[in-house]
Amino acid sequence: MTAACLQHKSPFLRLARRSSFLPLTGLMCVLLLVFVSVASASRDVVSENNETWRGPAGETRGDSHNQTNSTAHKKAFPVLSFNYEHVRKPFEISLWILLALLMKLGFHIIPGVQNIVPESCLLIGVGLLVGGIIKAIGEEAPVLDTKLFFLYLLPPIILDAGYFLPIRPFTENMGTILVFAVVGTLWNTFFIGGMIYGVCRIEGGQLASVDPLSCLLFGTIVSAVDPVAVLAVFEEIHINELLHILVFGESLLNDAVTVVLYHLFEEFTHAGTVTVVDAILGVVCFFVVSLGGILVGAIYGILGAFTSRFTSHTRVIEPLFVFLYSYMAYLSAEVFHLSGIMSLIACGVVMRPYVEANVSHKSYTTIKYFLKMWSSVSETLIFIFLGVSTVAGPHAWNWTFVIVTVVLCLVSRVLGVIGLTYIINKFRIVKLTKKDQFIVAYGGLRGAIAFSLGFLLTNSEMKNMFLTAIITVIFFTVIVQGMTIRPLVDLLAVKKKKESKRSINEEIHTQFLDHLLTGIEDICGHYGHHHWKDKLNRFNKAYVKKWLIAGERSTEPQLISFYNKMEMKQAMMLVESGSTAQLPTIVSSVSMQNIKPRGPARQRAIPSISKSREQEIRKILRANLQKTRQRLRSYSRHDLMIDPFEDNVSEVRFRRQRVEMERRVSLTATVILFMSVRALEIQDSLCS
Amino acid sequence: AVGPKGIFRVIERSEQWSVGELEPEDFGAIRELSMNPIGDRIISAFFSPGKETVDFASFVRILAHFHPTETSRSRDGVQPEPANSRTRKLKFAFQLYDQDRDGKISREELLQVLRTMLEMQVTEEQLQSIAERAIQEADLDQDDAISFDEFRKVRGVDLIRDQIDNWEY
Repeated sequence: MTAACLQHKSPFLRLARRSSFLPLTGLMCVLLLVFVSVASASRDVVSENNETWRGPAGETRGDSHNQTNSTAHKKAFPVLSFNYEHVRKPFEISLWILLALLMKLGFHIIPGVQNIVPESCLLIGVGLLVGGIIKAIGEEAPVLDTKLFFLYLLPPIILDAGYFLPIRPFTENMGTILVFAVVGTLWNTFFIGGMIYGVCRIEGGQLASVDPLSCLLFGTIVSAVDPVAVLAVFEEIHINELLHILVFGESLLNDAVTVVLYHLFEEFTHAGTVTVVDAILGVVCFFVVSLGGILVGAIYGILGAFTSRFTSHTRVIEPLFVFLYSYMAYLSAEVFHLSGIMSLIACGVVMRPYVEANVSHKSYTTIKYFLKMWSSVSETLIFIFLGVSTVAGPHAWNWTFVIVTVVLCLVSRVLGVIGLTYIINKFRIVKLTKKDQFIVAYGGLRGAIAFSLGFLLTNSEMKNMFLTAIITVIFFTVIVQGMTIRPLVDLLAVKKKKESKRSINEEIHTQFLDHLLTGIEDICGHYGHHHWKDKLNRFNKAYVKKWLIAGERSTEPQLISFYNKMEMKQAMMLVESGSTAQLPTIVSSVSMQNIKPRGPARQRAIPSISKSREQEIRKILRANLQKTRQRLRSYSRHDLMIDPFEDNVSEVRFRRQRVEMERRVSLTATVILFMSVRALEIQDSLCS
Repeated sequence: AVGPKGIFRVIERSEQWSVGELEPEDFGAIRELSMNPIGDRIISAFFSPGKETVDFASFVRILAHFHPTETSRSRDGVQPEPANSRTRKLKFAFQLYDQDRDGKISREELLQVLRTMLEMQVTEEQLQSIAERAIQEADLDQDDAISFDEFRKVRGVDLIRDQIDNWEY
């Protein structure tokens, strides 16, 4: 995403490179000021008094008064009037979002910055700046409203993550991820909570009033790894898939633990006493919350998949079904205090294979880009708000508490990871090396979820102290760890993600090996991983697919759909970019014999072409002729494009393919091939 | 080698064990294996070409391929390559494709594999195109077949290496 922006080579970018940074920074300052003024205007309390009005809002009051009083005196018909109140709320929201995105744009245009500082840090910095300016003006800055966060800002990010979750590595490492998520979070909570309580006891003074339950509650809030922060940072360092899925999966699944513990400790602090029964109920609650969340998500996922089966006539609203069903899953889970995040993930995962088989290609692209877009906006807003809220919120800075918290977070994370890895490695085949453990420990970032949960705490004198400590931890992890993780990854030479496209060979061999390993497992009688996966696949193929996928696609084997997707992608690439498409095929010297004999057979009346035209054609062809050779080699008669020089009826064979794609591709291909043949004929006629 | 539990289970399943040899029919008694698309290929992999039965030692030797690779093993040139090295595993998989053991996967052999895996849900032309494309991607010396070296070098197999390393049992 970031690289693509830079490569766009827009004139703006060239201008930026040539001239100095001054105009850009000037633009940014102007944006900041506008941002601030809007923010200050939005914070003004709508009151009946005119005295509190400031800024642009002030003028409207007078105007509206004038309008309401117009019945008394007969005024001239207002040709142009100013009525800001009317659109105030949506206007401000839109302006906030727009300015936030312009900031984000600005960061990508200024070259070099994003290599050092991850985007999340920059956005927090902007938020701090804006918050600081607002405070300096004397206004009250907007705070990250918990309801806004949990209901509007968080779901798009989680849905985006869940929908595009790489299933294979996730299920293969499920055990490890669960251990880290559940046991790791529990360890963190109790270790941090316990140690903090001990420190408070020892310190005395202001901290003596802290009771153990509050400490445990604090431990819960601060120990959960945050998916938003992890996504934001890890996305830029392109680490290998295993580590990425370990940290990211952990951040997703620990939501269940966090929810349960949070509600548990909150109840206990109100109730006052804890009994064994309560503890047992807590454990039961954990299972209910996580499994219930997954169940709710799966139900909505199946509903969504089923709905998508019938949308062949109303393609335009297909993406909406995906979004709405997922959002409903999240909200329904939240109703019952189940884990909304897990519900959302389950919904996306269950829905995806069937929906993708049913929806049109355009809808698929729409879904993909809308999800990416919403999650990007949400992420930006979250980080900016985090910065603004930091400046705004009430703080109670206690050196001991804060420093001890930060240190304890680091220590407990490291200890937890090392300890758990030692146990996990006994069960894993691919062991986690020390480097992997370090990255997993270092990648445990805290983020906005911790902040929002802290904000939800009931008001007590300790709340401000807790909040300050939470914010400090968040800042430390996101800024310090986020900034240093990239050079560390390079330093430790951690394996990066291999940027290779899936080839058909890989698909064939993967399936083959799956069958092989299943067979061997059957011989040994060992009901392992592959055995159950195979059973699930069979069940899926036999029953589920029939219900959830429309038409004849339901019997299409995976290899064929993969192959179709590949061919279509390649065909589209060819159509879109004439001479710059990279074909994975081998450049072989194709004999023009393929077309030569056909040429004379298709004698058409060649109209006389002017010299310049001919030059043009020659130039185009020289650029494309290489492509043409490749195309002729790879696009043999079995392929998507209807080769006009074949009298074999390829059209019949590919009736099952998507018709509109076929038509479009074949049209363009026909044109190009026809042009090339004509040019060759021209060449022939000119030479002879 | 294979864990003791696995061997006992196999022993339970075959009644011929007292004789000390297994025949293909014994493998056929394993129900799940008959549902496996490449089940008969796996079974025939246990039997050396020409022999009708497999004895315990050869059986275990084949299964030894499936032990996790120990990448940290230091090997001097004298020791024979262990059965569970990555190369041997790849060779085993390669031989499952290459039924006539001529060292190459010809187009026909690839087509056969595809046919069995896709279980007749596709048309012949689709099979042809997939096989065509697969060979194009892998075939570096243009002989219209995939040799073992080409098999190893194929981009896809590179990524499966992790999977191969993880074979257990």
